[in-house]
Amino acid sequence: MLELAAGQGGMPDWLWNFILAALKATGVLAFAMASAGLLTWVERKVAARIQRRRGPEVVGGPWGVLQPLADGVKLFAKEDVMPRAVDRWVWALAPSVIFFPVIMVFLVIPLDPKFGALRDLNIALVYLAAVTSFTVLGIFMAGWGSNNKYSLIGAMRAIAMIVSYEIPLVLSVVGVVLAAGSLSLVDIVEAQDEMWFIIPQFLGFVVFYIASLAELNRTPFDLVTGESEIVMGYLTEYSGIRAGLMIFSEYIGLLATSLVAASLFLGGWHGPFGTDSVVWLLLKAFFLVFVAMWIRWTLPRLRIDQVMNLGWKFLLPVSIANVVLTGAWIMVR
Amino acid sequence: MSGLSDVVRTAKSILTGHGITLKEFFREPVTVRYPQEKIEYPRGVRGIPSQKVNPETGDLNCTACGLCARACPVGVITVEAMVGPDGKKMQYPAKYELDYTRCLVCNLCVEACPFDALEMSDMTELSSFSSEDLVFDRDRLAEIWKRSHAARIAGGEKI
Repeated sequence: MLELAAGQGGMPDWLWNFILAALKATGVLAFAMASAGLLTWVERKVAARIQRRRGPEVVGGPWGVLQPLADGVKLFAKEDVMPRAVDRWVWALAPSVIFFPVIMVFLVIPLDPKFGALRDLNIALVYLAAVTSFTVLGIFMAGWGSNNKYSLIGAMRAIAMIVSYEIPLVLSVVGVVLAAGSLSLVDIVEAQDEMWFIIPQFLGFVVFYIASLAELNRTPFDLVTGESEIVMGYLTEYSGIRAGLMIFSEYIGLLATSLVAASLFLGGWHGPFGTDSVVWLLLKAFFLVFVAMWIRWTLPRLRIDQVMNLGWKFLLPVSIANVVLTGAWIMVR
Repeated sequence: MSGLSDVVRTAKSILTGHGITLKEFFREPVTVRYPQEKIEYPRGVRGIPSQKVNPETGDLNCTACGLCARACPVGVITVEAMVGPDGKKMQYPAKYELDYTRCLVCNLCVEACPFDALEMSDMTELSSFSSEDLVFDRDRLAEIWKRSHAARIAGGEKI
């Protein structure tokens, strides 16, 4: 970044910063969209393999990898249906409100030892907690604006779940923060030079992973879109590219959460034999994505009361115990 | 503490489940790419009923007795005996039509036949753009039998 900044010529600072920001945003968007597309294909392939099917393979490319392209074209080409009863602006804005916070997560993820993060905030974890809870607003807008009982029930479930899982999620990260002594993700990754935090912070990792699955509304916490009871939850009234955008944000969220989890617990860019680079981060993140898909095709869906029990009666005490234990460990050390 | 043992039991069962799904993940898919690949039908599969051909003379075994038409619960078989030069009916079908659009593939015609002239073929791919195409006459039914019978003998089993 520094070399780039030195070559700004006669440009005023604000213009240079603007161009830089636009470039970064474009890069993140392109990466996020491309990988979300890929992930929809990966998910279908993983599902198929676990069920001993072959999955999509007739559209083209090796193993049908061009499937997301066809799906995307289909979604774009669909008619933009707006149900008559919806609250126009709230309903139409909701997909974007869900989409952008997810993209903003990429800002603070440490990519490479030389490069650092796109923006190394010293309060990165606070920023993450703030940004990701924005999704709740989008989900509520979708549920309320749809003016549909299924949408509203789905949204209410999602909000109840996300709000209650936010607490163990943040508390599980506190252990890492204590161990690293910093809120910046770059510092946290650098602190994992000798040992990944998954070893001393195993409890924290388990709580973080379970809670982030709940934040993402993924199985076994996908009761917000339980087809058998409430059609598609808050997605019910959406079709075409709007539904596409929401599904895309789910997959981008999965990738973003996996990237954060890889940075917090799996050593981020650290690889063996001094091969530290962004490749390791991506490998770890994609492994976590695979685990999430593996969980999805193994575990059944929880009921809303079971979800609440798990969150408040298990994850919360465990994450608090983890904070206490980590604190004691640091004191003793 | 029952709470802790609950947690252990739950974690164990979750891990067991994941072990099973991971094992399945690495197994070969069982999918058959149907139009491109086909499986061998099991013994005794019932496709469209077909006319047996005597391998020595090349004639049909059918005597046009009409018992199959009477046995058919949906009445899709039409039989007309051949009329000889002396104006008498011969023991050979002049017309034998089977309307597959309404056929139940129930095997009753085969069971009713006293002359061993009918057999269920393994021909099941009978999609068509017109319903007239699905009314099979004598010679087409014989052709189907020849094909399916040859396939069964090649497959190593005779029914």
